[in-house]
Amino acid sequence: MEKISILKKRRVMKGWGISLTYLGYSAIFWGYPFVWLVILTFSKWRYAGSPKFTGIDNILRVLSDELFWKTFLNTLNFMLYYIPMVLILSLLFAVALSKIKYMKSFIVLSFLVANISSGVAYSIIFSKLFAENGPLNQTLYKAFGVTVPWFTNPQFAMLSIAIIVVWKFIGYYGLILYAGVQAIPKSVYEAAELDGAGKLTRFFKITIPLINPSLVMVTVMAITLAFGIFTEPYMITGGGPMRSTLSPMMLMYTTAFQKLDPTYSATMSIFVALMSFTIVFVFRKLFEREVNFQ
Amino acid sequence: MTKKSNRNFDLFINIVLILLSVLWLYPYIWLTLSSFKPSNEIFTGFFPSRLTLDHYRFIFETAQSMERPFFKALLNSIFVSGTVTASVILTSCIISFALTKYEYKGGPFVINFIIFQMLLPGFMFTIPTYILIRNMGLLNSYSALILPSIMSGWGIFMISQSYKATPTDYIEAARIDGAKDIWIIFKIMMPLNKSTISIVGLFTFIGIWDNFMWPLIVMKDYQKMPLSVLLASFNHEYGAYVGPVLAGAVMQTIPMVIIFILFRKYFLQGISMSLK
Repeated sequence: MEKISILKKRRVMKGWGISLTYLGYSAIFWGYPFVWLVILTFSKWRYAGSPKFTGIDNILRVLSDELFWKTFLNTLNFMLYYIPMVLILSLLFAVALSKIKYMKSFIVLSFLVANISSGVAYSIIFSKLFAENGPLNQTLYKAFGVTVPWFTNPQFAMLSIAIIVVWKFIGYYGLILYAGVQAIPKSVYEAAELDGAGKLTRFFKITIPLINPSLVMVTVMAITLAFGIFTEPYMITGGGPMRSTLSPMMLMYTTAFQKLDPTYSATMSIFVALMSFTIVFVFRKLFEREVNFQ
Repeated sequence: MTKKSNRNFDLFINIVLILLSVLWLYPYIWLTLSSFKPSNEIFTGFFPSRLTLDHYRFIFETAQSMERPFFKALLNSIFVSGTVTASVILTSCIISFALTKYEYKGGPFVINFIIFQMLLPGFMFTIPTYILIRNMGLLNSYSALILPSIMSGWGIFMISQSYKATPTDYIEAARIDGAKDIWIIFKIMMPLNKSTISIVGLFTFIGIWDNFMWPLIVMKDYQKMPLSVLLASFNHEYGAYVGPVLAGAVMQTIPMVIIFILFRKYFLQGISMSLK
């Protein structure tokens, strides 16, 4: 009896010891930066000397900074293209995938391999494919006699970036939705068919409501992605033309490391996080439903 | 009648999806073919008239003298991603064991703390972590690329979830036989939770390999740059050398594609797991 309690005590000690390695690591690489984040938000500092307390100056500056809000509008603009495109296409992909028989794994792998493409490399590939005289414009010219200014026109530039990100994510989101579609019991469809529900009715009244959790999850992932986008605009457009593709991450990067203003940049990062949280929260409130199969 | 037209429609969808898959692969095919084409053919035809290794020779030899050591960068990427992945797997497997199988109050506490950490987006920590690395005097060193990622809250969380499902009986039996905990972790827990561990390893490796913003910020030394940043800077300054840039993009992409094909089973599991 005594031996067991000693063993138990030893295990508790060991447990804390091992936990402490993670907690210690977190204190350095998470806690320390967290404290700095708070310090930076309320002070003025340019990497030299010690930070000077300035109260809420940074916050007021963000609120009245046109360029910052421009990047926010750019993000909304991106979401306006990206989210409908990626949701509709990956939903179609998921439904189509549940109907087919041949070469299924080839199809899944082809769409998924886009998802593991490295950000820098695929930005380079698409900047060449969509170039002024690139293969895509050449094909369009041969077929219709027109070329599209994919990256040089301010509106098209954001659309082009959205298309590229859609290419990357359809396979991933599509498979998440596919798993949702697979989980719907066949009997539900059969019952509806007996009641005379057509294909479209079944899709809108059964499939869509029943995969609500997967749809919400995919949309939340897409919103989070939109606020964190950096590599694609940095590599392809550099934020242009006319700052139409400048993303919050790019503005933070240039503010902190080219204009050497880390305090302001850190304040912006908090605003970006808050806006992303707010949009996700509102979206969930509006669209999330409890789903029960039985 | 309707049954038959249904079947035809499904077959039609099947063919459309197969064609779309080829379209989805097109950027990769175009990239790979173009990196072997003579420069003047990259934008003119899909199929090369002859294959050439010029672009690869350029990035491995000529770029060396332009202070853009691509081969070194490839090794750097492998070294950094490999070290981080090994460390994340090892630490997550050991820490998760303590959190889930020692039955003490700290376990749930640490897991809740990790969930809280995961709620806050990483980009809020970019600048403060840069300041930390700078204060430690580690800018432009491999440590700057490796240290901030050697332990992963997400990895511990995933593996803990998986460990919870492993029956404690196995562990008790091994303990009665006098097995040390470290032996139990390596010989019982890791083999039993192979697929979750593979997923953590894969996503970590790919995440670090693909990471761009962080190494761009902390690494200005061309000799220690990972491939992603070196390729971006080469593309920025020598973008006119389209062939070599594409050859560099192939180098950056192919290892990921190979890993993906080898571990495709775990990727698929990882995606359906993210649902729970």
